[in-house]
Amino acid sequence: MPDAKEVIVRVKRQVSPKGTPYWEEFALPWRPAMNVIICLRDIAENPVTREGQRTTPISYDSNCLEEVCGSCAMLINGKARMACSALVDKLDQPIRLEPFSKFPVVRDLAVDRQFMFESLKRVKSWIPIDGTYDLGEGPRMAPETQEKAYPLSRCISCGSCLEVCPQVNDNNKFIGAAIISQVRLFNMHPTGAMHAKERIAALMEPGGIQDCANAQNCVKACPKDIPLTESIAEMNRQAWKQALVGWLVG
Amino acid sequence: MSRTATRSETDYLLRKLHSFTGVIPVGAFLAEHFWSNSYALVSRAQYDAKSQELQTIPFRVAVEWLFIFLPMLYHGGYGIYIWLRGKSNISAYPWVGNWLYTTQRYTGLIAFAYIGWHLYTERWLTHGKSTYTDVEDLLQNPYALAFMFIGVLASSFHLGVGIWNFLCKWGLAATVKAQRAAGALGATVGFAFSVIGVLIVLSFWLNWHPFDFYLK
Amino acid sequence: MRQPKIIVVGGGLAGLMATIRIAEAGVSVDLFSIVPVKRSHSVCAQGGINAAKNQKGEGDTTWKHFDDTIYGGDFLANQPLVRRMCEAAPGIIDLLDRMGVMFNRTPEGLLDYRRFGGTMYHRTAFAGATTGQQLLYALDEQVRRHESEDRVKKYEGQTFLSAVIDGGGVCRGICAMDLRSMEVKTYPADAVIFCTGGIGAIFGRSTNSVVCTGSAQSALFQQGVDYANGEFIQVHPTAIPGEDKLRLMSESARGEGGRVWVPKNPADTRPARSIPEAERFYFLEDWYPKYGNLVPRDIATRAIHRIVYQERLGIAGQAAVYLDVTHISREVLDRKLEGILEIYEKFLGVDPREEPMKVFPAMHYTMGGMWVNSEDQATNVPGIFAAGECEYQYHGANRLGANSLVSCIFGGGLAGPAAVKYARSLEKGAESTSTGVYENERKRQEEKNQALISPDGTENPMTIWRELGDVMTEHVTVTRINKDLQTADVKIRELLERYGRINLSDRTKWSNQTLNFARELGNMLVLARVVTLGALERNESRGAHYKPDFPERDDANWLKTTRAKWRNGEIRFGYEPVDISQIPPRARRYDAAK
Ligand SMILES: Cc1cc2nc3c(=O)[nH]c(=O)nc-3n(C[C@H](O)[C@H](O)[C@H](O)COP(=O)(O)OP(=O)(O)OC[C@H]3O[C@@H](n4cnc5c(N)ncnc54)[C@H](O)[C@@H]3O)c2cc1C
Ligand code: HEM
Ligand code: SF4
Ligand code: FES
Repeated sequence: MPDAKEVIVRVKRQVSPKGTPYWEEFALPWRPAMNVIICLRDIAENPVTREGQRTTPISYDSNCLEEVCGSCAMLINGKARMACSALVDKLDQPIRLEPFSKFPVVRDLAVDRQFMFESLKRVKSWIPIDGTYDLGEGPRMAPETQEKAYPLSRCISCGSCLEVCPQVNDNNKFIGAAIISQVRLFNMHPTGAMHAKERIAALMEPGGIQDCANAQNCVKACPKDIPLTESIAEMNRQAWKQALVGWLVG
Repeated sequence: MSRTATRSETDYLLRKLHSFTGVIPVGAFLAEHFWSNSYALVSRAQYDAKSQELQTIPFRVAVEWLFIFLPMLYHGGYGIYIWLRGKSNISAYPWVGNWLYTTQRYTGLIAFAYIGWHLYTERWLTHGKSTYTDVEDLLQNPYALAFMFIGVLASSFHLGVGIWNFLCKWGLAATVKAQRAAGALGATVGFAFSVIGVLIVLSFWLNWHPFDFYLK
Repeated sequence: MRQPKIIVVGGGLAGLMATIRIAEAGVSVDLFSIVPVKRSHSVCAQGGINAAKNQKGEGDTTWKHFDDTIYGGDFLANQPLVRRMCEAAPGIIDLLDRMGVMFNRTPEGLLDYRRFGGTMYHRTAFAGATTGQQLLYALDEQVRRHESEDRVKKYEGQTFLSAVIDGGGVCRGICAMDLRSMEVKTYPADAVIFCTGGIGAIFGRSTNSVVCTGSAQSALFQQGVDYANGEFIQVHPTAIPGEDKLRLMSESARGEGGRVWVPKNPADTRPARSIPEAERFYFLEDWYPKYGNLVPRDIATRAIHRIVYQERLGIAGQAAVYLDVTHISREVLDRKLEGILEIYEKFLGVDPREEPMKVFPAMHYTMGGMWVNSEDQATNVPGIFAAGECEYQYHGANRLGANSLVSCIFGGGLAGPAAVKYARSLEKGAESTSTGVYENERKRQEEKNQALISPDGTENPMTIWRELGDVMTEHVTVTRINKDLQTADVKIRELLERYGRINLSDRTKWSNQTLNFARELGNMLVLARVVTLGALERNESRGAHYKPDFPERDDANWLKTTRAKWRNGEIRFGYEPVDISQIPPRARRYDAAK
């Protein structure tokens, strides 16, 4: 049991994308309501390991600090979490921090999630409006549709759902739950629905929706509680119907 | 464009075919197979009669290859390919769905090995004329008996989980509620198949025919 | 015809809107941002976006929206552009709706509107409790579409260091640093639009995101872009104190009956719930018996500051007061306030239904910003435009809730085409600027990096930053006293001097966040002085700027826009008249209908 007034943090570090990972341990003064970001800032202000060795501050991504920008995802005690909402008092010590394993490491805890943004492009995750000039109001929408769509639109592209998915790995570039759910969102919108086919076709490319193997880890890991397994099921249905219809009637 | 389009479709279709073959015809065959074998629970003669009926269907070889061996080979072969492209992580995320994901792979492999052996002993060695006695004899070997139990349980489990998977993965059970129901259905099927499978094996092993009172 | 090249720096609402407009004009855009644009600070906005659509049959008009905005801003905003913004707002909502923003709906399938502070009308469209996120995503998606069609090139993970300005004082591009390779490079452009957001980090902790440092604004200021109304910043009364961030706790907690109090004895260390009524000081109810806990934002903020800094009655000597909803039934709380109470629970691990919340006012919004003209968002340096929270145009001395999102989108939408027009009008574009101009700027920035990285200092940038935040928060936020402002400036100058002796704990050449932070810190210190000195100069009280020694608004002397200029390394202040051509100033009072 560590001293109650101390927080022990072990960080898996890596100086560059090709660097070899190594661990460093830090002992920080405990304060109430500490989160993992505060730990990392403490280390930055006094980058000395527990053994008294000077070291460099730890690289990591963060921005909003209220779990809405998606920057600060990392493995905390082996689990995909958002660092800004990970409270020290609710974590077992020593707290282990590691970068996500399914994305290339940039440095220390910072990873490159460009894959997700590229995927959003691949599936045309937008409403193709004619232009920003004034064309009057948008289509009407039942409140019920909005209530279904709104939760989907809260995805912060944190990548947790990809990180925990056994189907996402070096051998298999599965597009992941977040993107599939986005397609569902856009296909639900009255204007977006006009272009549903293109998006579905993109979802059926290699690495697409077929790679989902229903482990259902994504929905457990999502910090925004997005009903990912429902989205995947729904898109699966849209996909095979489209494949079948395309095959039958061209 | 069209070239990439075909390539892209291919992967999708192969994967869907794998999923589909799991239920039809492989799963359906498993059901049929359990059904016909459960005649052993009635009597030796009933079993042999049923076997003979199946062994003497028209176009037997073609039917066997088309509806059983090829789909099974495909489902098994492609299943292994799928397995190799996934990377289980239950130690980090020991959640139910994740456990099922991993066990689905091991039970599939066990089923594959088991079915291969089963075919070898019951279809190949007997030249397609297996009888009650053949099976009974085989099961006197304790290793064979154990493998039989394991194989039956693995297949049943795999089918049960598979049905749940299938319903989710084709969007037939799309809401959380429906998926829970699909899970219950899968579990029921898996459990029922396990029980029936074990009873059948016991029947052969112990020469036990609980339904023979029909004949009295 | 020569195709111009335009750079947009910043991918919040303003930057994305500008980008879309430029791409739509068929001109290619380079979009620079520190964070992937989808992670910009605009995601934090919760409440909503204003537009007088009069969807509830209340007789709301764009003129009333305009009047509310000018009045709320205590008549400091130049009026013509504010009016245009309010007139454009309904169209902006339509556009966002067409882009697929999942706004809340009425049973008829129309957009729903809620009421917000500073108005009598249901004028605020909202998408759940994450309106900013939803709007940002909609624009982000449109930009991604243009990107996939090669009209936009994103440079994410790049920080703007400086503008490239030629001998004639015209901007010809920017100098930026890749935050991974730490490579410093210049990028030519005919026009550059800056949409770099707020300056919360200057106050150490705020409701803003980490990258809201104002570093870009300050760098530009030091290159000759004037900075207007710097002294006007908005402090929100109730935020959850945190060591890393002050997270907003919406007004609705008080709207539903929440009460603000402190223990009468600051040394009282008992748990809040066991302190008897008689030993609690409900200071808002005591001081403002009429409005009680529902006094307007700035009054509540000032009162809490008074309790903590003058009366020294903060809870256990800390800068915090209780916001108590424990007397309200769980059922009501869960139905009406669940969203915000969850934030408290998530980040503090304490259930606010059981324990009174500890809150404190927090730096929230930057009304001041880069000076822009009142037609098309151009700054005083040719080729440089600005839009969004980083410029000063729309909110005067105090911003109304839900008006910022609309000003960002309007300003960005104005700046985009303006930059295109400007770039097209140039006789000679960036391509005919000599390479020496770029190379000199690159070298200048490279040298700054070298100076920071050289190992002879002793000062830790994090420590300097913390001290800056402390002094700014204590003296330059809510209640401003000239003596204290002078103290603050002395302190900032001391920090600037120490900054010269900075010691970086990381001198590596790859993804060195320490180096980047040190660069930002240098700029923050300069901008902190602009804010502090601007406040010192302005001897009146107007909107969010409150001086107890000068408690009245003084239109005779101070109905003026502050315009800070950088001259030979010194900050100079000039003042220019406010355009009040549409609505004559009248007294702004909180205790009666206007
Ligand atoms: C908690 C909170 C709640 C709010 N709620 C509301 C609300 O309900 N309604 C409302 O109207 N307003 C609200 N606001 C205000 C509103 O959110 C902001 O004013 C607005 O989002 C600012 O948008 P922006 O485009 O100017 O800048 P931002 O969204 O801040 O974006 C700035 C961009 O600039 C980039 N950048 C910054 N510096 C550099 C640099 N040096 N180099 C390169 N890129 C750089 C960043 O990466 C980012 O992309 C709220 C603000 C907060 C803090
Ligand atoms: C007893 C014979 C078998 C039956 C009845 C059967 C049935 C099924 C069913 C119904 C599914 C669900 C379909 C889906 O995932 O969408 C499935 C999935 C699967 N099967 Fe089989 N299967 C059998 C044998 C095998 C064999 C021999 C293997 C090879 C290892 C195998 C590997 C798999 C794999 C890996 C999956 C999961 C696919 C995925 O997750 O995407 N199965 N099986
Ligand atoms: S779906 Fe959830 S877990 Fe996946 S990226 Fe979006 S917010 Fe993160
Ligand atoms: S910092 Fe934005 S999600 Fe954690």
